[in-house]
Amino acid sequence: MIALKNIQKSYGDNQVLRGIDCTIPTGSVTVIIGPSGSGKTTLLRGINFLERADKGEIILDDMQVDVEKATKKEIHALRQRTAMVFQSYNLFQNKTALENIMEGLVVVKKLTQAQAKEKAEVYLEKVGLVEKGSFYPTQLSGGQQQRIGIARALALDPKVILFDEPTSALDPELVGEVLDTMKRAAEEVKCTMLVVTHEIAFARDVADQMIFMEGGNIVEEGRPREMIQAPQEERTRKFLSRFTLQQAGIC
Amino acid sequence: MGNVIDFSFALEVFGKLIGYVPVTLGLALSSMFFASVLGLAVMFVRWRRIPVLGQLATFYVIIGRALPTLIVLYLVFFGLPLLLLILSGGKVNNGFNQISPLVFAVLGLTLHSGAYLAEIFRTAVQSVNKGQMEAALSVGMTSWESFRRIVLPQAAVLALPLMSNQFLGLIKGTSIAFMITVMELFGAANVISSLNNRYLEVYIATAILYWLVSICFEKAFQMLEAKMSFFKERKI
Repeated sequence: MIALKNIQKSYGDNQVLRGIDCTIPTGSVTVIIGPSGSGKTTLLRGINFLERADKGEIILDDMQVDVEKATKKEIHALRQRTAMVFQSYNLFQNKTALENIMEGLVVVKKLTQAQAKEKAEVYLEKVGLVEKGSFYPTQLSGGQQQRIGIARALALDPKVILFDEPTSALDPELVGEVLDTMKRAAEEVKCTMLVVTHEIAFARDVADQMIFMEGGNIVEEGRPREMIQAPQEERTRKFLSRFTLQQAGIC
Repeated sequence: MGNVIDFSFALEVFGKLIGYVPVTLGLALSSMFFASVLGLAVMFVRWRRIPVLGQLATFYVIIGRALPTLIVLYLVFFGLPLLLLILSGGKVNNGFNQISPLVFAVLGLTLHSGAYLAEIFRTAVQSVNKGQMEAALSVGMTSWESFRRIVLPQAAVLALPLMSNQFLGLIKGTSIAFMITVMELFGAANVISSLNNRYLEVYIATAILYWLVSICFEKAFQMLEAKMSFFKERKI
């Protein structure tokens, strides 16, 4: 279980997170949607301290971290228990696909080369890229790179995987393969996922919980299907209207 | 006009001068090695914004790049013994006479090149995509592990062409070590030419030797760069 309590963050006078509270149960998928500038990515990056929030509390199972006072050790411990999939993939450019997955296993999890290789191959297969193991990131398509990114995250057995708009940088025709991979990760691996995305259909089909954020606040949260069909807040309805119209075949 | 260039003399000089190439090379290679270590250290303390050391490093880079190499060399050669003499309260006496001027030359060239290399390393590290560091941290590596295993190998490839430039400059820069009595290639050329009162042959031979050494290292750096950019897209 991961819980955020009263997370706040400002850049100068601009308050981007105005006290976020939410709970993500173990093994569940939570999707955060919202217009750009709503603070969703900042929130996600605040969890593994790639960006440091000003105030609040992060609870990860038995770990409890006060954001304001977090020590180097706590931040490191938090990062070791989480993993992230980035919008721009961020595969290690100087490592092959297989080595990208192995890197954390060897350096952080202290597996031997052989153990790490074996495990990495398993995850390479899970994302359907066994034959690409020896390829460098520049030799892979965006979709393939992102699937390796997902395998790299999964292999670490993290308590939660943070997805930061994982399909936003992809060509439309490559979005499907990445979403499929994520769906399988959710269903087969049962890993806890927190996903910032604009893919409403993915939220509807895969997520257990949906959060709509705007202006640094959580405007509404609930079950995705219910929220899409009958949003309680006017702002949510407006944001989702384009999608609902699409679904109805009007737009 | 028949003897503007005396070929047999030129050939003889060439043979003599080859003997000084190892001195020049030794100066260049050892200065480059120490300057790289120094440059890396300076870049690292500035990058991690380590208090005091970071500011000192920045100060060094500014001063180091502002002074002519010859001045640095003179300051080290004449100033350092004096400084130590004063600091030790007169206990360290003329012991410096026994230290080879080569040591001062390497020290001076190291200080000079180190400042440039620190800047080269800094820009190289900054040119590595920020996401690489973030990805490494997100996996759970420490910032040192992330830096050493992910950022540095990528920065090295970016730095190599500039390091090659710096090293080629350094090879030729070693010629000023003659000013503090080091008998290297250029120094030997000066001596031989004035002894024989023939200049053109000697300096042509010297130029050819510098050129040969430079071209070898230029190729070596190119090969190293190709080898280290194995992960990059093949470019034509």
